[in-house]
Amino acid sequence: MRDVYVVGAAQSKFGTFPNESYRSLFGSAFESAVESIDGDFDRTEVDEAFIGTLGVGGRQLGLSGPAVTEYVGLDGTPCTRVENACAASGVALRQALTSIRAGVSDIAVAGGVEIMTDMSSEQTRYWLGVSGETEWERMAGTTFAGVYAQMASAHMDEYGTTREHLSRVAAKNHGNGAKNPHAHLGFDCSLEDAMEASTIADPLNLYDCCPTSDGASVAILASREVAEELTNSPVRLTGSGQASGTVGLFQRPTITGIPATEDAAEQAYEEAGVSPEDIDFAEVHDCFSIAELMAYEDLGFCEKGEAGPYIASGATEPDGERPVNLSGGLKSKGHPIGATGTGQCAEVFKQLRGEAGDRQVDGLERGLSHNVGGSGGAVAVHIYEEGWA
Amino acid sequence: MGAYISVPTWWQNLDSRYRLTIGECGECGATKFPPEGACINCAAPGSALEPVEPEGTGEIVAHTVIEGGEPPEFSELINTEDAIGAVLIELDEGARVPGMLTDCDPHEFGRGDRVEATVRRIYEQEGVVRYGAKFRPKND
Repeated sequence: MRDVYVVGAAQSKFGTFPNESYRSLFGSAFESAVESIDGDFDRTEVDEAFIGTLGVGGRQLGLSGPAVTEYVGLDGTPCTRVENACAASGVALRQALTSIRAGVSDIAVAGGVEIMTDMSSEQTRYWLGVSGETEWERMAGTTFAGVYAQMASAHMDEYGTTREHLSRVAAKNHGNGAKNPHAHLGFDCSLEDAMEASTIADPLNLYDCCPTSDGASVAILASREVAEELTNSPVRLTGSGQASGTVGLFQRPTITGIPATEDAAEQAYEEAGVSPEDIDFAEVHDCFSIAELMAYEDLGFCEKGEAGPYIASGATEPDGERPVNLSGGLKSKGHPIGATGTGQCAEVFKQLRGEAGDRQVDGLERGLSHNVGGSGGAVAVHIYEEGWA
Repeated sequence: MGAYISVPTWWQNLDSRYRLTIGECGECGATKFPPEGACINCAAPGSALEPVEPEGTGEIVAHTVIEGGEPPEFSELINTEDAIGAVLIELDEGARVPGMLTDCDPHEFGRGDRVEATVRRIYEQEGVVRYGAKFRPKND
């Protein structure tokens, strides 16, 4: 397989933007990604594009991929919309990688976009219910937060995970997001405030839940030959994994972890020829606090059931052995569904190149991104390394 | 407004809506709810699933109480009852089913508690009231 590099990556600001359209937000992310490329980039040379979006609100259900690529001057370029709920653009990234590896493309664009905040509360709840299984899970009254709350109830009961362990995810990620100018909720949150927030779906409270956000993100990938002309500070995609799981939690063999994460991670580690202990830092899918804790276990950062003590040890703080969600994660940076996967890629890209501003952690050489659709129906994991092969 | 499940779609699964009918795989013996599609354990095609009508009793294996952000089709219910107990039940016959608690304070129940199914009104759509199984505490 051919080596593939991220030569440019960026996100728009995530947040609430009543004056922006899904196209203008995508345009903002795309132009920032182009600006992040070191060399002279000609957008007419993009061979293929993959765009992730759930299409929240139904503003352009069909052809929502070409609708945004035409906006940035890629009219005529093959474009495919990828839908895997919240894992849409993590999977779009894998599609772009695969296209270059296969020799179909030399330059491929992966991206994602979502507008979620301009609808009524009823419309929002209508749309977000469908990230879980509809016919049975939703008809039992289970919200999206509710599915993760059910997993939290089982994890807490089985492994002794505590209220404080959950809230440490919020406090850490808000601390990181407060240093990220692109974050939706870029403010600090104390552990006490996180623990005392009002209940959304017991045992999860408001600070256990990520916000709904507007935003877009873009990663521009190239083959080695092309990358040598475009970048001075290469970021190589060394491993990629993807797996599916049953859409409904009730049909899975385990409810205290996400089997598709384990499967996708195993593939990515094998491709990259590394183990979990070789990962310097990670952007993981913390749509709910329990999701970040389960990710530690499913990605192999700690033993099964040990995620609570692992976060309490400080291991995933910016000065810990393996910083997690330096961007602020979905919790603080925001979660515009289709844009989250390539948004994670943009953070890994910036950290590896030393371009992450106030939240930069020095000495990082190998990063991982982990993007989950629904409650684990689809997962994409990618591993990135600084430097040429 | 709500998750759109048409009347014909709802009617396709009435055995499972009312009586929690599950499937038992003729190849490996694993159970599945609802009884359709390939076996999750051995991937045998759905035609290998034999329908089994369970007793309707089981144990709560995952538990949450929804106090906000409910799907709009349940807004009326939450306005009346303040909270929805949404649980996963492991039936005594093996399969897990998602369900809603009824006839109890959902905060008072949790993992390990025994429940039994009872048919109740679930919600209304297209002018048709949809009925299905909910779960209430069972004292053995």
